[in-house]
Amino acid sequence: MNVLEIRNLTKKFGDFIAVDNMSLNVREGEIFGFLGANGAGKSTTINMISSLLRSTKGEIVILGRSIASDVQFAKMNIGIVPQDIAIYEDMTAYENVSFFAGLYGLRGAHLKERTEEALNFVGLGDKQKSLPKNFSGGMKRRLNIACAIAHRPKLIIMDEPTVGIDPQSRNYILNSVKQLNRMGCTIIYTSHYMEEVEEICTRIAIVDHGKIIAEGTKEQLKAIVTDTKNVWIEVRGGDHLNINSVKHIQGVLSVRLDDHMLKISSKGEINNLNLILQQLIQDRIEIRSIEEQAPNLETVFLTLTGRNLRD
Amino acid sequence: MNVYNIALREIKSSLREPRTMLFMLAFPIVLMLILGTALSNVFSNFTPVDNIRLLYSNESGQPQLTQYWESFSQEMGRQGIDIAPIASGQVGREQVREGQYTAYVELKADGMQLYGSSKQSIESNIAQGMLTAFADRYNLAAAAFRSDPSKAEAILANAGAVTGGEFIRETSLNPNKSPGSIDYYAIAMTTMIALYAAISGSYLFRGERTRHTAIRLMAAPIAKGELFAGKVIGCTLINFLSVLVVVLFSKFVFQADWGSHYGIVFLVLGTEVVLAVSLGLGVGYLVQGESPRAVVMIFTQIASFVGGAYFPVESDGSFMGVLTYLSPLRWANTALIGAIYTDDMSAAWQTIGLNVGIAAAFLLISIVIMRKREVL
Repeated sequence: MNVLEIRNLTKKFGDFIAVDNMSLNVREGEIFGFLGANGAGKSTTINMISSLLRSTKGEIVILGRSIASDVQFAKMNIGIVPQDIAIYEDMTAYENVSFFAGLYGLRGAHLKERTEEALNFVGLGDKQKSLPKNFSGGMKRRLNIACAIAHRPKLIIMDEPTVGIDPQSRNYILNSVKQLNRMGCTIIYTSHYMEEVEEICTRIAIVDHGKIIAEGTKEQLKAIVTDTKNVWIEVRGGDHLNINSVKHIQGVLSVRLDDHMLKISSKGEINNLNLILQQLIQDRIEIRSIEEQAPNLETVFLTLTGRNLRD
Repeated sequence: MNVYNIALREIKSSLREPRTMLFMLAFPIVLMLILGTALSNVFSNFTPVDNIRLLYSNESGQPQLTQYWESFSQEMGRQGIDIAPIASGQVGREQVREGQYTAYVELKADGMQLYGSSKQSIESNIAQGMLTAFADRYNLAAAAFRSDPSKAEAILANAGAVTGGEFIRETSLNPNKSPGSIDYYAIAMTTMIALYAAISGSYLFRGERTRHTAIRLMAAPIAKGELFAGKVIGCTLINFLSVLVVVLFSKFVFQADWGSHYGIVFLVLGTEVVLAVSLGLGVGYLVQGESPRAVVMIFTQIASFVGGAYFPVESDGSFMGVLTYLSPLRWANTALIGAIYTDDMSAAWQTIGLNVGIAAAFLLISIVIMRKREVL
């Protein structure tokens, strides 16, 4: 059963097309990774799924009901974990969760039980009466999640839930996502951290320029780039590098320089490493190390979009 | 229920913000105390006459006049007015110029000459009035003496007693009570702080956007109308509560006079808070970016200044005078002073009508813009 169906969804802001005729299905029980660089149309899509934005064209169906015809039903069944922490600093952890859960119709003992349950789930059971302004970044992120799950939504949308937190809190949150999934929640997960997406997502869509350019399991996505090979060359003096001259070498698909790491994707059947090294030597670039990368989500993303996820 | 929850959260949040509470409560109370004390003389309509000192010289050489003057002096002395003869070597007019005496009188055979102090004009005028009364009576006695000396004796003997010993008769031209300085500033500061609710009004939805909680509120299964109503009601209630505390504090601590028509007083103040919140909300929607707060701050400051928050203002037909009529503070102050001091409710009802009407207009503007917008 599809928890979410997106059909020919388009969103325009004036002449700018943020989402371009997008179609997508998310099945029940999935942790669905939604990847895209900044400005790719990912947040706009999420905002339309959450009923925060109206679509220009197309349809969104949640649990079999169109948002356009029954927005209340859609809202009742969705939980949002926004990228920016969305809590009231002057209200206790308990009051925050209780207030937002109350907006979903929970009352009395039921509300109390669900609030405590959500706080315990994110490990803030002993901080119920504390004000979030005294919390660490990780604790605030966990409270941000608790506010989204107390009403037990069927679909949880998590937009960069681990930004700017310590590894321990990140692990806690990732485990929480997996546990929520085991409890029956379907999750749409966006992140700039590829390793997170690789670790927890069962299916992934890559968005670029408002369109889904690839969709499938990790293995299926990696298979897309088996006809390419990726070489990472650690260099010094990269300021002198003429990237265009490398791009024009036969077989090169994409080139980018991240700090001191030159990341080159080339067609698999062409052996151009000697030509690349010659060009670097000609440009007086000092080569520190050379490493061939096995296909991973990052190389897939780079190959498909020509951009890094953090761009 | 959602409206109640949202309003309650708004109230809790404001109560937990110490800077806001300090601003809404301590600021008007301290200003009330400072301005009420410092400007108490401006509001005083009481001029004591017991510091009138009159210097005189008697060169008339008329025993009857001298006798009558002595009686008059004694009577004035009983009323707290000091009348002293000029000492040898003293120059009367110099004494007055130096501020030693209120006036100097020369009694001569052909009449009286009075030199009053321009520095003490009120006291000097009182002295002139007393001496005029004295001269009238003496002239009457002199005229009587020519026809019937016994009647003249009676007139002179009863000098200062015929009319109950009153050479000064107090007749108030303003029988209605009027506010003292603390009374005035209790009203002015309260209406000013009610108007300051516009600041929290301007931040009502913008605050949700900056906190990012707008996303959660918009994603929740509640109608925009519920959200709007809850926030406006909560903001209005907490601001009205602040106004109520300021009123009670001024009444019981500063003994400010709030009259006996509490219903109309709180109705004026309540509708002013509604007006202020709506105004702030409207500006928050009409003005983009970070400017709404600045616009509201400037408006409230100007409205407070021309509305009489810091000192009473009179409308004199000038540009500033006309401007005072545009200040909601002026409307509220006029309404409250009328209701409290003259039992006149007409200005109060006009103000309530204006407040409600303008508030409705701003609320309508906000609702229309909110419905059009996809975000809060």
